[in-house]
Order: sequence, then structure tokens, then C-alpha cells
Amino acid sequence: MKKSVSKAGASLRHFLLAAPLALLGPSFAHAQAPMSRGHYLAIASDCAACHTNGRDGAYLAGGYAIQSPMGAIYSTNITPSKQFGIGNYSLEEFAQAVRHGVRRDGAQLYPAMPYGSFSLLTDADIAALYDYFMHEVPPLDQPSPKTSLPFPFSVRASLWGWKLANSIVQSPYVADPRHDAQWNRGKYLTDGPAHCGECHTPRNLSLAPKASAYLAGADIGSWRAPNITSDPVAGIGAWSAQELQEYLQTGKTVHARAAGPMAEAVEHSFQYLSPADMAAIVAYLRTVPPIAEPGVTAPNFSHGGTPAPFDYGAANARRDQSLLASTASGAVLYEAVCASCHHSDGKGTADGYYPSLVGNTTTGQRNPNDLIASILFGVDRSVNGHQVLMPGFDGNSLVQQLDDQQIASIANYVLTHFGNAQASVTPKAVAMVRAGSSQVPIAKLADPKVLAALVLAGLVVLGALVLAIRFAIKSRR
Amino acid sequence: MAQDTQTADVVIVGAGICGSMLAHKLARNGLSVILLDAGPHRDRDQIVENWRNMPPHNKSEYDYATPYPSVPWAPHTNYFPDNGYLIVKGPDASAYRQGIIKGVGGTTWHWAGSSWRYLPNDFRLKSTYGVGRDYAVSYDEIEPYYYAAELEMGVKGPNGQEIIPSAPRKNPWPMDSMPFGPGDRLFTDIVKPMGYDNTPVPQARNSRPYDGRPQCVGNNNCMPICPIGAMYHGVYGAWKAERHGAKIIANAVVYSIETDGKNNIVAMNYYDPDKGSHRVVARTFVIAANGIETPKLLLLAANDRNPNGIANSSDQVGRNMMDHPGIGMSFQSAEPVWAGGGSVQMSSITNFRDGDFRSEYAAIQIGYNNTAQNSRAGMKALSMGLVGKKLDDEIRRRTAHGVDIYANHEVLPHPDNRLVLSKEHKDALGIPHPEVTYDVGEYVRKSAVLSRQHLMKIAKAMGGTEIEMSSFFTPNNHITGGTMMGHDPKDSVVDSWLRTHDHPNLFLATGGAMAASGTVNSTLTMAALSLRAGDAILGDLKHG
Repeated sequence: MKKSVSKAGASLRHFLLAAPLALLGPSFAHAQAPMSRGHYLAIASDCAACHTNGRDGAYLAGGYAIQSPMGAIYSTNITPSKQFGIGNYSLEEFAQAVRHGVRRDGAQLYPAMPYGSFSLLTDADIAALYDYFMHEVPPLDQPSPKTSLPFPFSVRASLWGWKLANSIVQSPYVADPRHDAQWNRGKYLTDGPAHCGECHTPRNLSLAPKASAYLAGADIGSWRAPNITSDPVAGIGAWSAQELQEYLQTGKTVHARAAGPMAEAVEHSFQYLSPADMAAIVAYLRTVPPIAEPGVTAPNFSHGGTPAPFDYGAANARRDQSLLASTASGAVLYEAVCASCHHSDGKGTADGYYPSLVGNTTTGQRNPNDLIASILFGVDRSVNGHQVLMPGFDGNSLVQQLDDQQIASIANYVLTHFGNAQASVTPKAVAMVRAGSSQVPIAKLADPKVLAALVLAGLVVLGALVLAIRFAIKSRR
Repeated sequence: MAQDTQTADVVIVGAGICGSMLAHKLARNGLSVILLDAGPHRDRDQIVENWRNMPPHNKSEYDYATPYPSVPWAPHTNYFPDNGYLIVKGPDASAYRQGIIKGVGGTTWHWAGSSWRYLPNDFRLKSTYGVGRDYAVSYDEIEPYYYAAELEMGVKGPNGQEIIPSAPRKNPWPMDSMPFGPGDRLFTDIVKPMGYDNTPVPQARNSRPYDGRPQCVGNNNCMPICPIGAMYHGVYGAWKAERHGAKIIANAVVYSIETDGKNNIVAMNYYDPDKGSHRVVARTFVIAANGIETPKLLLLAANDRNPNGIANSSDQVGRNMMDHPGIGMSFQSAEPVWAGGGSVQMSSITNFRDGDFRSEYAAIQIGYNNTAQNSRAGMKALSMGLVGKKLDDEIRRRTAHGVDIYANHEVLPHPDNRLVLSKEHKDALGIPHPEVTYDVGEYVRKSAVLSRQHLMKIAKAMGGTEIEMSSFFTPNNHITGGTMMGHDPKDSVVDSWLRTHDHPNLFLATGGAMAASGTVNSTLTMAALSLRAGDAILGDLKHG
């Protein structure tokens, strides 16, 4: 996955990842013409995902609110506007920002900008990107809102230490001679421009990517970025190359449908990449060291499900009974809310317009967050000019609003009948996904009480130290 | 007498399409709004469940009311069997057995989504053809509001297709039409050489994802309920209004209206289901309870200063009740038609919507009903005593060959077509039932002779057998008249902004204001008039 999501009020597991819900904007119209290398790289890097503010936002003019656990981070205007954008940046200053996260004025960029990944970009690609931004992107004189996170995150300088301590910034990519050109191209794209690991690699306590769990899957706000290592059970090792490529380019295969942030990645970026580059990414992913996951015993797409035909007897028994609003029966709710499209047997339509829930990676995951998030927020994906939409069922839904208990009941019915029967969902889990998932420990620093406690603890320690030193000095005398 | 009082800038009575859309507009523009509805909240999943569990007989008779249970404190019509709520009298009583739903969202919970604009001549029927009445508003004045309503509802229409006659447009429909199903295709092809142009009906139904709702996939279940939300319902406006701070109060049955010395509305009082009384106070009041409940409430709320009823100094409240008297025909076609592919209503013959003949007899709309025939086929096959494979074959044959077509007529306003409060029948709260006397008039009867010929010609062209044509006029739930608009306070109830002549701060946002019925569904025009009333209300309260 390339970026994270920001459904209403969603807080991210970490604040490194940007989260546009932006549908494919008109800005991509010019992606159809023969494009420059820099333009292609800008798409591969999905700059517009964050730097364009949604469907109606001006191309790369910023203003998109990336919801982080620490507060909203607003993307900046990166058009060549001299007043509000990057029009005054030299190539070197541009490279510093993209690869090192340092602004022209020397300030540190919040790592919502994935400069850790972008630091791998080669000099030639940085130059091509710079050319594109300076000469092809239309300048727009429009300010972007100021980001003001609470203390201590308001101190941007602290990021300097964070970057250093976690070796965030790497050297530009150098081909590995032990592998062929395709593999090297694939690794470069995966780790560099496409910044896959920003979502798919879990993070440590200080929110830096955990190298030992490279691409092994992580929670991203409400959604789950699954394990994409070559593990044949927990990862994508059992997917065919053709299916992987189809998925990345269209967001849709027999077994999988891209939703949430992955749908955005497909929509804004992957669908425009060349078949050769897609094949390279797939070839490289095949070689990523497998990482198994406890409890995952079969590939996500392989859960066969138990047939659950419509029960006429049960339906008749329900006739004229109390309101569905008060029922917690997953079977009843599934029939009323889901079966009109996915059918009573969960197999959707024969042409796949409505996907089968049986043998589907969303219902087959051990971690049910993607299933919960799909029910809450729906699926919205535009590929090749065609929009696919499953409505959401959260509080904003015009189609049907469901509460946490109802969604848990439906999800459990789906999991036990069509998906991974080992997984289960509680109303509390639904509430967390609805709210944007669990809070990151480090974000608690923004809580004045927590901060005060820490400062107080620090003062006590400091005081003790001072006393100890004085005592030591005294004793020496 | 009142146990509690709630206050807002605007109180709207009726959370159907007009009241809800208006509530959304006003709340979005910063006004505080209380939206009352006599009926309960309704849930799509429950309605779907109710429909699925209905007996086959009801389905075969197109019973769209039973999935929406009527509540004792706010009864609405149900004819399976007739619950006696709406009392109809007169020579064409059958033609006013309207289907209405009470509850948040109102009757557009079940409709085909047909969202026509009226023709410019519909707005000036009297000046053009010397019959009926003119609207107090012109087509050009309402055009921007038509478009605003189309955008809000998500109307798909035949962009790029020239249809004569049709209402002029400044903007294309928000969405393109969907392709016809097999039934509409075949019907179109057969009537074409006969001189009938069967063309797509503009509908508030998604031909692509729109407003967070999915694309229609032809569940063919628009009535009684779209199971997936691809169709527009009035309830969306209510929910959107709520997000902008409007307060929805369901199960609130307004029964009295307080006026002051200047005949402004001061307060309204409503009953909860237990007949506890509550009072709402506002600067502006809107009654948006459409063509039956609005006049009923105005008559019910008569007070000392307004002894004939609120807004009724003209004695026009409850008069001029209109709809589109219909003639239905069913037959078995020679070729398999397979009604049911696509939505229940996709196309219509509109050649006769306008013309000089309107000075003599009613304009009409002829249509093909694409509702799947399987329920009726099944009931009929069972009644034939068939079993086993013969039964299956007969159901299949009738499902494939069954055809329903209809002709709907415009009707002229007549003061004797009148709604009054029943003297005999009262609901659980003691509120009288509405009683309508109806005669479609010579204008319609004259036209109907020709309509029957049109229908018969079409049936013959399709090789029809078992031809059955209704011998009486049928209702179409396009309730208009009742609180008619006009420039003259002596013969009309509201002005062009839907403001009552009698009460400066009372608006009636309903199809009742429509001064001519035209030939097509009234919903879009009601919605557009209501949005226009919104501008008057905003003008009063924001700048006044």
C-alpha cells in the first residue's frame, strides 16, 4: 500500500502516512499524453495522493489534511508558485526536501512525507522530477493551511534526532549485481517511489519502520495493509504473477478487490505504470524473504466457506416480528442488508460485478480490519475511467446505517460462512475501526496530562540526580 | 395546555421529499430547523425484509403499502385490504385511491424515481389553451430550481437525445440514461413504425455511483423499495439536514396552529403517539405534507381568527384535487418480452404531452410498465390448477409474455373535486380522516376514448391475447391541486413562492400548489418549487 486513509476522524497508527480519499482527479487527464520521465515518476511516487486536496482540489496545490494521531498535517503547495509553492527551490534544495525531509528554510518536514523511501531515488530521477515540477506543473498561487500540531510534536527540530536515531534517510539506490535488471528495477520501485513499505511494514515504538518485519503487514488507521512477503501462507507467495499484476493495475482479481488506501494507490498510481514496471515489482516481491504469521494457516484467498442458502422457514418465522434495528442476528442482517448484492450464498454475481465473499482476501484475513472497514466505509475505486462503489454503512451512509453490534454480527456471519472462520469481530473492534483504530503510544505525548506526568517524572529524576551529585561532591570534600 | 416548547428558526411539518430537501437547504444555510413527521423513522433493511416476507398474492397485486406498516397515530392508506383511511366518493372515486406513506422520508421510499420537468405550456395552460389555470410561476423562473433539484436527487436523463416535446434545459442531466431492458427495447421497436416515440424517462436513479450511493443494477424493485439505495429517497434530505444541525422529530402529529393579531403563525402543537401535546415555536413555518395531509391539517387547525381553516380565506383549501387518471391494460404478447430487465419504469411515449388539442381534451402519457411479471404469472398459473412441469412452464411463459401498459391523463382543476374532513371517521388520536370527492371531468373522458384506442392498437401490434383494460380510472399518486398557487388571494392559497396569502410566515411546500397537473410525475416540480420557497424563507430570515 502506498498511503493510509483518513475516514472521518480516523487517526493513523502512525503519522508517517498520508491519507487522501481523493478520487482520481481531473489532474490526471494529462497523464494520458506521452509523458516525461519526471511526470511518470511523480505518478509512481503518487505525489498527488497527498498534495492534491481530493477530487476537487487543484493539482499539487496542497491543503489536504492528513489525519495523524497527533493532529492534522496539511500537505503543502508543491506547484512551482514562487510565493506559495516550490518555485524558488534549486535542484539541490528540492533534493534535500524529497530525500532528506528538509525544507528550503531549513525546517524539518513531518514524516507524513515519505522521504525515508524517497531517499532511495537516484540523482537522475530526482533531476527528472525537479524538471517536471518546475516546467510541467502549472503554478498555482494559493496558500496551503498551516500545520500546527500540539507540543511536543510542534517542535519540528526534534525530527532531526528521530531521523538520525532510526536511520530513516538512506543512500540513493545502487543496483545489486547479484540480481538481474528486472529485480533491481522492482526493488527500486517498491522501496523508492512506490514507497510500499510505508504502509506494509510495521513500525516500532518510535514509529520507524521495523526492518526485521519488512513488508510483513501493518495496521494503517482503520485498514490493514496485509503481509506482502513471499510467504506462501501469510504473504502473497501463493498468488500467481498474473493475478498480482492484475491486482496492482486494476484493483480487481477473482480473489481480491482493492479497497481503502490500496484502492487509492491503484487508482492514482499503479494503473498508470508500465506493464514492464509492474512485472518488475511483482518479480521483486516474489523474492522478499517470507515472514509467517502466527495463527494464519491458509492463504487469505483460500477460505472456501460454508454454503448458507436463504432459509425460507426462518424468514417466515420472522414475519411481522420486531424491528431489525433490535436484532443482533448476523444471518437476518446479512439477508436484509448484504444479500441484495452479494447474494444469500455469498457468491456475488456470476460476472463478478458484485464480488464473491467466498475465497476473497478481504474475508479471508486473520485480521478482520479490512472486512470491518469495507463494511463501514465501503469500497470506492476508479480505474480506467470506471468507478466501482460499494456504499459504506457507517453514520454517514445514505443507504443504511449500522451500529457496532450490527456490523460485528454481520462480519462474524460472513467470516464463519464465507471467509476465515478463525477470525472474529467484537463490537469494540468495530468501534475502533470506526474511530480510526487504536491510539499510538507516542501520540499520548500530546495529552497534556501525560506530558505533565512525564515532565514531572523527569523533574523528580533530575532532582534526584542533582541531590546525588551534590552528595557526591560533598562526600569528596 | 402544552407540556413543553421547542423553538427554531423554521419548523417544517412533513419529512417527505419536499420538507426534507427544504430542511437540508435551510440548515445548510445556517438556519435552525425542526423537521416534524407524523409517522415513524423507517429503515431500508426492515422494508426489504417486510417485502420479502409478504404473501405472493399481495406482490402479484402490486401491494406497495404493506412493507410500510401504518401506525395508529398516523395512519396512511393501505388497500390490501382497504383500511378505510382515505375515504373516496364521487363518480371517479376509484381514481383517487392514493398510495401514501407517512414517516421520515415519506412516499418516495417507494416510487419509480421518475423526475420529469413539466413543459413550459403546462405552466400557462390557461393562457395557451384557454382551459384550467396558469401557474403563478413561469418555466424560466423555475428552471434553475429544477436543475438544483436534479443535482440533489441525482437524476439521469437522455442527454444528447432530441425528444419532442421536452422541457428546455440549460444544463445536461447530472447522469446519462441507462440502457433499456429487453421489454422496453422490444416495446420501443414495435411502436416506432406506428408513430409513437418511446423514449427514456428522466429518473432519480443512479446510472453511475453518485452521492456515495451505488449504481442501479436493475433489481426491478424500485417499488416497494430499492434494496441498494441506487434510487433517490426524500429521507436523504432529512438525514443531510440532520448533519447540518436540523432536529428531526418523528411520530409528531401536528393538530393545531396558533395565529396572532396579524395572522402570523405563532406556534404549532403536535401529539406524540400517546396523545401528549407538545408545542413548537418558530419564525417561519412550512407545511410539507403533500396534497392530502396538507389541506387536511389546514382545515383541522381552523381557529377563531381563521374559522374556515388556516390559509383558507379563499375557500380553496382542499379544492381542485388533481392526479393523473389512468387506464391500465394487460395482455399476453405473441413474442416473449421478459418484463423486469432493468428498473420498473424506464420509458414513455410522450408524443401527446402537448398540442393544440389540449383546448379540447386532456394530454396524455403512454407508458410500458417494466415490473417483472413473475408474481402475477405464478398466481395465475396456480389458479389454473396446474402442477409440476406444467405449472413451471406456465409460470415461465406468462413471465416472459406478460405485458402491462397504461395511459395517464392530465386533469383540469375543478373546485368540486374536494377534500374535506370526514364527519364519521376518526383515527386513534381523534383526528378526522380525509374524504375526497372526485370526478375526472369531460376533458379527461373525451381524451380517454382516444387513449383506449392507442392502447388497443399497441396490444394488437404486439399480438396481444387475454387483453384486459381497466373500465374505470386508476390513481397514480401524483397528488396535485388542493392548496393551489395563484396571484389572486381570492381564488388561490399560496403565491409563486409557496407563501400563503393569509399568513406571511407560513409556506406550503407541496404538490398541492401545482396549478396544472400536466401529464407526468409531479415529484420533481414539487421539489423545485420547494427549493424556490427556500430562497424566499432565507430572504425573510437572513436579510429580512
